[in-house]
Amino acid sequence: MVLFSPRRDLGEFRKRYKWMGLFAALLFAVILTRLIQLQVWDAEHFRTLAHQNITQTQTLPASRGLIVDTERRLIAGNEPAYDLLVTPSLLGAPGVQERLVALLNLDKAGADLLQSRIDALPVYRRNHQVLALRNIKRDQLAAVEAHRSELPGVEVRAVAVRHYPFGSLGGHAIGYLNEVSKAEIASQPDTYRLGDLGGRFGVERMLEAELRGARGFRSQLVDARGRILDELVVARSRGALPATQLNHRPPAPGADVQLTLDMELMRVIRKLVSPYPAASIAVVEAQTGMVRALYSKPSYDLNEITGFMSQDSYDALIKNPHRPLIDRTLYETYFPGSTFKPVTALAALADGLVDPKAPIHCGGYHELGNRRFRCTHVHGDVDMQQALGQSCNVYFYKLAEIIGVDRLAHYARAMGFGEPTGIGLDNEASGFIATREWYEKRYKRPYRSGFTLNAAIGQGNTRASVLQIAMAYAALSNGGNLLRPSLVERITSHDGEPIFTFTPTVRQRLPISHAHLETMLEGLRLTVADRSGTAFDPKRKDAVSAGGKTGTAQVTGLGGRSEDDPLAWFFRRSHAWFAGFAPFNNPEFVVVVLVEHGGSGGRTAAPIGLEILNYATKKRAAARLAGGAPDGSHS
Amino acid sequence: MARIRKRLFFFDWPLFLAVAAIVVLGVLNLYSATSASGGSRSDIYIQQIYWLTLGAGLGTLAVAIDYRHIERNAWVAYVGGLVLLVLVFLVGRQVRGSQRWIPIGSFYLQPSEIMKLVLIVALAKFLHHDPKIEGRALKDLVAPGMILAVPMALILAQPDLGTAVVCALIFGTIMLLTHLKLRALFTLAAAFILSAPLTWTYLLKDYQRGRILSFIDPNTDVLAEGWHTHQSLIAIGSGGFWGKGFKLGTQNQHHFLPDQHTDFPFPVWAEEQGLLGACLLIGLYMFVVLWGLKIAAQAKDRFGAVTAVGVSALVFWQVIINLGMVMGLLPVVGVTLPLFSYGGSSVIAIMVGLGLLLNVSIRRFSF
Repeated sequence: MVLFSPRRDLGEFRKRYKWMGLFAALLFAVILTRLIQLQVWDAEHFRTLAHQNITQTQTLPASRGLIVDTERRLIAGNEPAYDLLVTPSLLGAPGVQERLVALLNLDKAGADLLQSRIDALPVYRRNHQVLALRNIKRDQLAAVEAHRSELPGVEVRAVAVRHYPFGSLGGHAIGYLNEVSKAEIASQPDTYRLGDLGGRFGVERMLEAELRGARGFRSQLVDARGRILDELVVARSRGALPATQLNHRPPAPGADVQLTLDMELMRVIRKLVSPYPAASIAVVEAQTGMVRALYSKPSYDLNEITGFMSQDSYDALIKNPHRPLIDRTLYETYFPGSTFKPVTALAALADGLVDPKAPIHCGGYHELGNRRFRCTHVHGDVDMQQALGQSCNVYFYKLAEIIGVDRLAHYARAMGFGEPTGIGLDNEASGFIATREWYEKRYKRPYRSGFTLNAAIGQGNTRASVLQIAMAYAALSNGGNLLRPSLVERITSHDGEPIFTFTPTVRQRLPISHAHLETMLEGLRLTVADRSGTAFDPKRKDAVSAGGKTGTAQVTGLGGRSEDDPLAWFFRRSHAWFAGFAPFNNPEFVVVVLVEHGGSGGRTAAPIGLEILNYATKKRAAARLAGGAPDGSHS
Repeated sequence: MARIRKRLFFFDWPLFLAVAAIVVLGVLNLYSATSASGGSRSDIYIQQIYWLTLGAGLGTLAVAIDYRHIERNAWVAYVGGLVLLVLVFLVGRQVRGSQRWIPIGSFYLQPSEIMKLVLIVALAKFLHHDPKIEGRALKDLVAPGMILAVPMALILAQPDLGTAVVCALIFGTIMLLTHLKLRALFTLAAAFILSAPLTWTYLLKDYQRGRILSFIDPNTDVLAEGWHTHQSLIAIGSGGFWGKGFKLGTQNQHHFLPDQHTDFPFPVWAEEQGLLGACLLIGLYMFVVLWGLKIAAQAKDRFGAVTAVGVSALVFWQVIINLGMVMGLLPVVGVTLPLFSYGGSSVIAIMVGLGLLLNVSIRRFSF
């Protein structure tokens, strides 16, 4: 019977079931292993990705603090502008991006920029908004708004752009904004993001931390297409999310800054130097170190250079032979020329090496070995004060031989030369004061006193910035306090809390007695007041009493320019200097004027400097009459 | 009466309960998967319940009839299946570039789903009448090969790569049940390897090649093909051990999962129920497959054994391919997860198939 069982022909299959079951179990085991890998080992990673998927963090930009001048004129403010944002996952629909490019009327470069911003977003964040174009034009805004329904995923956001009402005036001191570099983002990842603007140069850079404020953010729940989900869904999904990760932080606006600059004075200065292509002027409060004007010409329009500058404008700046990007007030250094002579005089006086009343004969030149060191003309017998007033080189050559280069260097350093003034701006130059040791190292042969002669009249290897000279003259005129200059009068937080209020800082006292200062200053008075003074102007009447020193600094070389340069004749001319203060008996203001290649200091720089002193002191006096000194001044 | 009571005694409760559990979990999961869509798809789980009810009815019929009746009419069923497949091209509806559906009122019949089952029955019928003890050579595979080749060609033409692959795998599993000569096996393996480049170049469509390429190197085009797998992995992985809770899966609720209700219901389940829930579900499927093999081993005749192996293989390969696909182990092909994916034809075919399995189980001692 068994032979005829229906099961007889099943023998063919018999051994296979076991193997099939084993094979099935094996594949299920593979699936389970993978499941454990995903849900246990990599769970945290995927949880993070899942959370990134559904949260879109909207950045709430902080408004940058305002910058105003000492009389509260707006120097840097914020104006409304429009940024274009896109959500790439929504933009993916066919033709939308092409339509957008056409509506915005973008050229090839613009379209490429748009594409690169979209491509910069990692794939898993394509449902997040990305800043596509900054500061779109009005007609672009109108085009996008009019066709809103055809452009899913395109959004226009109102933002603020920096605006500088004074344009190029004081551009170097104020500074501007542009996009932060990758290195800056790397060093301050909490502060900066790709595409952020940061302060560049000037006050915008110096007070970046105070001005920028802190961005806020708002997390929103989005779905796969980047649509923001309504509150109901948010509430429902919240149970599955870490509670802390859906939050909102309002932006903290930056602090407002009041500068010591007087933009009205800056305007006056701009007008006074209008005939000259390149100039630099600093006006400082003699008693406090507050900087009332810091003017470098040529400058650049901050509104043009901030944010994104067109290549054409940038090329124009680079090609300008007068190099507008250089800050001539504190970055560039010059031979101070005769404005340096008070240092030489005081070095001799302080160590009792010379009787200031003793005349020295000037025959038009001074011979050292077989070299002749020239004077401007034959001064005859001059004492120290006459030598200063008439700017006789021979007198100071002779002093130099007595003083020696190291003593000169010692006193120059005591007056702040050779090191930054500490105003706080980036790229401030130290200038240079040479010593005997330096000369020997540099020239590899025994020291020659000819070096000292040149140093004594501010030539040779002596280099100083306009601001350094201004601070030295402030110290000479205020009785010997070398002050730290300041551009900042007050910083106030957005809600009105004072963060910083200016108080004068004395860097050091000059190691010079009051009597010696008085002796030297009388020479500076003669410059302006004496008929033979280099800055004497018989037409100057009804003007404030002032002291000062002119300088005509020779230029060595053409500063890297070719001999064939059509402007070579100009760049060979001497720089014109004037450094002075007023009123003479109770100095309030110090001014330093440098007119590049302006020729004679007495003829070119001194009238400008004296006019500035006149204007500033008269304005101060008028303010005093009108009821108290202007805000923040110390008089 | 006595006979019915005897049948009830032999009724396969473990298999029935395992299937019932999958059905219940599947409906719950569909409810969650479609609740996010806000209206348009929110009644899908209700429809699925209709299909399940209809499937249960037809499945009960498949249990009730002595399967020898089915064996007798197997060729009729096979020809009927082929006719439906041809009809697809005549009156079919095109969705997303492929023609797979026949509209019947508001319902769309997918004949390829039915064909999988019909193929099993046809192969069972063929092998039932073709017992061989001494081993099968290559020429013995020509006839069953033709039984596979005709519907498979029609399915590939739709095109429906996933279903075609499942048909081929079912065929392969069934043929491995028989005693193949080693030479035949090696020849087949060699032929398969040699035909792979030809298949790649001539048989596969661009989007199918794209899916395979993006599987081999997920970085090629994450947005298009790899994107689905990427989001699926995030869903499964982020579910973790305990899961995010019913209807709280963010990948699901925020529409990051493609086709949550058809091809990707497992990520929804794994995201919301975690490793525990996922293991439970996989365990149930594994039980059904192994239990099906046990039923085959105990079957009374060759038809019953082959049918049981075929239905087990159908469930097994669909589960493995679907899970492998959503876990990034296999390229994305449209293979549904039995009883978890939404779809009338698929649900009915699977329910009838499981009915046949129960039928074979109950009748293992009868005749």
